[in-house]
Amino acid sequence: MKRILLIALVALAPYFAAAQESLYKDWATRGIDIPEVPIYGQRPMKEIGTQQTKLDSVVLKENISLSMADVLTFNSSIFVKSYGRATLSTVSFRGTSPSHTQVSWNGMKINNPMLGMTDFSMIPSYFIDDASLLHGTSSVNETGGGLGGSVKLSTKPADADGFGVQYIQGIGSFKTFDEFLRLTYGNDHWQTSTRAVFSSSPNDYKYRNHDKKVNVYDEEMNIIDQYYPIERNRSGAYRDFHLLQEVYYNTGKGDRLGLNAWYINSNRELPMLTVDHGSATNFDNRQREQTFRGVVSWDHLRKNWKLGAKAGYIYTWMAYDYKRDLGNGVMAHMTRSRSRINTFYGQVDGEYYIGKKWLFTANLSLHQHIVESEDKNIIRQDGNKAIVGYRKGRPELSGSLSAKWRPIDRLGLSVVVREEMFGKEWTPIIPAFFVDGVLSKVGNITAKASVSRNYRFPSLNDLYFLPGGNPDLRKESGWTYDAGLSFAVGKKGVYSLSGSASWFDSFIEDWIIWLPTPKGFFSPDNIKSVHAYGVELKADLNVVLAKEWQLGLNGTFSWTPSINCGEPRTPADQSVGKQLPYVPELSSTVTGRLSWRRWSFIYKWCYYSERFTMSSNDITLTGKLPPYFMSNISLEKVLVFKWADLSLKGTINNLFNEEYLSVLSRPMPGINFEIFIGITPKWGAKRR
Amino acid sequence: MSRRVVHTLVLMLAIAFGGCMKWDYIYTEDFNESGRGLFCLNEGNFQYGNATLSYYNPATKRVENEVFARANGMKLGDVAQSMIIRNGVGWVVVNNSHVVFAIDPNTFKEKGRITNLTSPRYIHFVSDEKAYITQIWDNRIFIVNPKRYEIIGYIEVPNMTKESGSTEQMVQYGKYLYVNCWSYQNRIIKIDTETDKVVDEFVVGIQPTSLVMDCNNKLWTVTDGGYTDSPYGNEAPALYRIDAEKFEIERCFYFEFGDTPSEVQLNGAKDKIYWLNDDVWEMDVTAEYLPAEPFLPYNGTIYYGLTTDPESGDVYIADAIDYQQQGMIYRYSKERELIDKFYVGVTPGAFCWK
Repeated sequence: MKRILLIALVALAPYFAAAQESLYKDWATRGIDIPEVPIYGQRPMKEIGTQQTKLDSVVLKENISLSMADVLTFNSSIFVKSYGRATLSTVSFRGTSPSHTQVSWNGMKINNPMLGMTDFSMIPSYFIDDASLLHGTSSVNETGGGLGGSVKLSTKPADADGFGVQYIQGIGSFKTFDEFLRLTYGNDHWQTSTRAVFSSSPNDYKYRNHDKKVNVYDEEMNIIDQYYPIERNRSGAYRDFHLLQEVYYNTGKGDRLGLNAWYINSNRELPMLTVDHGSATNFDNRQREQTFRGVVSWDHLRKNWKLGAKAGYIYTWMAYDYKRDLGNGVMAHMTRSRSRINTFYGQVDGEYYIGKKWLFTANLSLHQHIVESEDKNIIRQDGNKAIVGYRKGRPELSGSLSAKWRPIDRLGLSVVVREEMFGKEWTPIIPAFFVDGVLSKVGNITAKASVSRNYRFPSLNDLYFLPGGNPDLRKESGWTYDAGLSFAVGKKGVYSLSGSASWFDSFIEDWIIWLPTPKGFFSPDNIKSVHAYGVELKADLNVVLAKEWQLGLNGTFSWTPSINCGEPRTPADQSVGKQLPYVPELSSTVTGRLSWRRWSFIYKWCYYSERFTMSSNDITLTGKLPPYFMSNISLEKVLVFKWADLSLKGTINNLFNEEYLSVLSRPMPGINFEIFIGITPKWGAKRR
Repeated sequence: MSRRVVHTLVLMLAIAFGGCMKWDYIYTEDFNESGRGLFCLNEGNFQYGNATLSYYNPATKRVENEVFARANGMKLGDVAQSMIIRNGVGWVVVNNSHVVFAIDPNTFKEKGRITNLTSPRYIHFVSDEKAYITQIWDNRIFIVNPKRYEIIGYIEVPNMTKESGSTEQMVQYGKYLYVNCWSYQNRIIKIDTETDKVVDEFVVGIQPTSLVMDCNNKLWTVTDGGYTDSPYGNEAPALYRIDAEKFEIERCFYFEFGDTPSEVQLNGAKDKIYWLNDDVWEMDVTAEYLPAEPFLPYNGTIYYGLTTDPESGDVYIADAIDYQQQGMIYRYSKERELIDKFYVGVTPGAFCWK
């Protein structure tokens, strides 16, 4: 028996994940390996004191139909607010709002600059090779504005040797078709990859509508009966296409060049509410999007220093059309909204090590947004046509310096200072301090703590949307404190067990909320102060149960009170001291993977406690949403032939066919199925 | 293996079955609220489907919330906009649910519904068998047969596209119906109820929001003046007194630029008008100048709805607070004394007297 190697700082799950990932050469040969517990002294200096959750390839590549919204739902403490299947999905990180989570892809921010938030249902998890959640203060290492945290998504070289092809097709309930194709080529210097995903479905799942009844009339038009109808998800069809091209070149002498280009073409209907008495055939409510994101990167690595530069561009065209049948089959526009976003991005960063005890980093990034928003066509008083909308540009500059010091192996200290400029407005210096230390080598028990200031600027819609934009908004600001403990034990080839517990405390001032005005439209204002605090627990267990039987279990649990602690708006205001709407106080996830030879069984479970829909937390008929439990399972068999690897997989979502809502008036699908067939031919590739 | 495997499987299944959840059905209740009362329509939040109907008995000061849902076992819908009562039937317009419900105003039970509407705002009865329903995002006023709950025709409003279409409140004088056109509009139109045609119109200020008719057959409307940077224009809002017979503006009372007047209402005798403009204002219908002092001063919140008791003259004001919680209704006497206050639903915006 090999001895257990001791002491790992931070949560050890990421290390295991990384270890698994390196073993995870392709989709057909997955399995759980029990690695050694790494030596504490080798943990990255860059991660001193940070609270991080890494999502490994096993999670990201579980099946091609998953979006990042699905992955986060079942594998993190983040609350995903889903408006339905393949519909807008936003996140609440540590009880904050969707715009308080900063999201980057290969270093470039991809939050919509108009809305401030990110729709995670538009990110196929198969396009992401690395995903990390930086909780609270830890996000200051990467970006500003992450009052809840940040989500860091990236791709990486396929590690191909020769040509490779992978094709997977999924066929599921509601006439769902998912297709994935990946072509790779690689040698010592070059790595290229082309990935494409196409998903489509009428998405017309059935549900019993509890929110309305159908009337049965007699000839005098008296109601003689009423019943809750079984309806289909009306106007929910989608057709999404994603194409990702990557090229990497490694000189072998310390220079790496990369190109990543991601094209999205999405056409989604917007499902009707359960309380909508209109007919789906009379309305067309549709959102279309075309987005291109491209990043070129250069990394120059030397023994004790590193220099990197990136440049990128994002173009997004979004269209929202709401049409009405005039009764003669002609669909007339009720709303015709268009927006175009051009974002230019540049970044330089550097790292410099002095011995093994000091690391200095510097980072400077610029995002220049140019936005054109057209919300409505009108006829002016003079009879000419006009468009209600705005055109604005805004540079967003963010720079940081950090010094990380490890005076002794058991102790790490880090200080980060960041400053941001949005438009012409600067933030004060954003400081962040991190510390971690090994309390006990037995069990690798490590403590860590951090504190940071942070600011988030209003989005462009907050400032300029017509009608209602408020150019006088102040930026939101907050202090966040983190502290936690982690442990890790294990035995090579037998088991590994790690876990962490962390406490956080955030005070956010000038929270921006859109409210109705007497003029009939909404307008944002800085009205709330919020105290978000709580506890996050994570655990990860990998164990060999018996010969060829392996079990992996990981779970998360969060307790996240997010309390309005501002002044009452009026004497009648009952919201002070109450949980924010749509933020669950408790959430939990469990994922279990049981594998035997080339069979694997995955069980995913998540739980969200009751969510209030009112700021006063009133328990009325529409004031709350019941707790939300969900179970998904999948079974996969890998067949290995000389000429190819084949994978057969079946999944069952909503295993117990629960009738549930994630958001008021937005029904979710009942039990549904999908089967996947994957093939990875071995021709043209050198077998490894 | 096997023991550990079995134990593990059992544990996983226990976790799975350990919880359950429910999208609840709403249990129905029986009501019998005969006598006078006040319905309060709570808009709810757009796209939440949490509009509700509250009922208040002014004599007993008792309020019942969510009465539509509790009486019918289903939700009222998304964005409750307006309500009228005619011949013992209440008609509730639910804008983003594209429906008008007919209810019994005593039991709150549904009697029928008109569907297939674009985006309904208000309903007005021309006769027992003909009613008009105004719309936003549609340049047509829908003609319906309320007895059969069916659409029987449309009134096309000229010089208005579908996308910027907006017709609002309706007042009838003789055979003519007057309608204010609000969103990105500036007109009062006149409809011949016999021919169902727009026969005349005139321009007022930008975005007239309300329309009532006083005891002297004068129409009153108030404009909101548009908003900053609106391509339609932005101006000082104004209150207009319009001679219904002559169909011309008789008097215009201008507010300060940036003011937000709304919710013009009449008292029972129709000789006083009330409106909101931060404060609550009251004015005789024969006045020639805007009052200098408000009826009730601003108290730090934005009032969202207003009505007066046609019998007692009590004034009811809706405070939506933060628009995400149960709003508060304040009831004041004509002498401006607070008589009662009670919580209703989210975003109380409209009232209807029974």
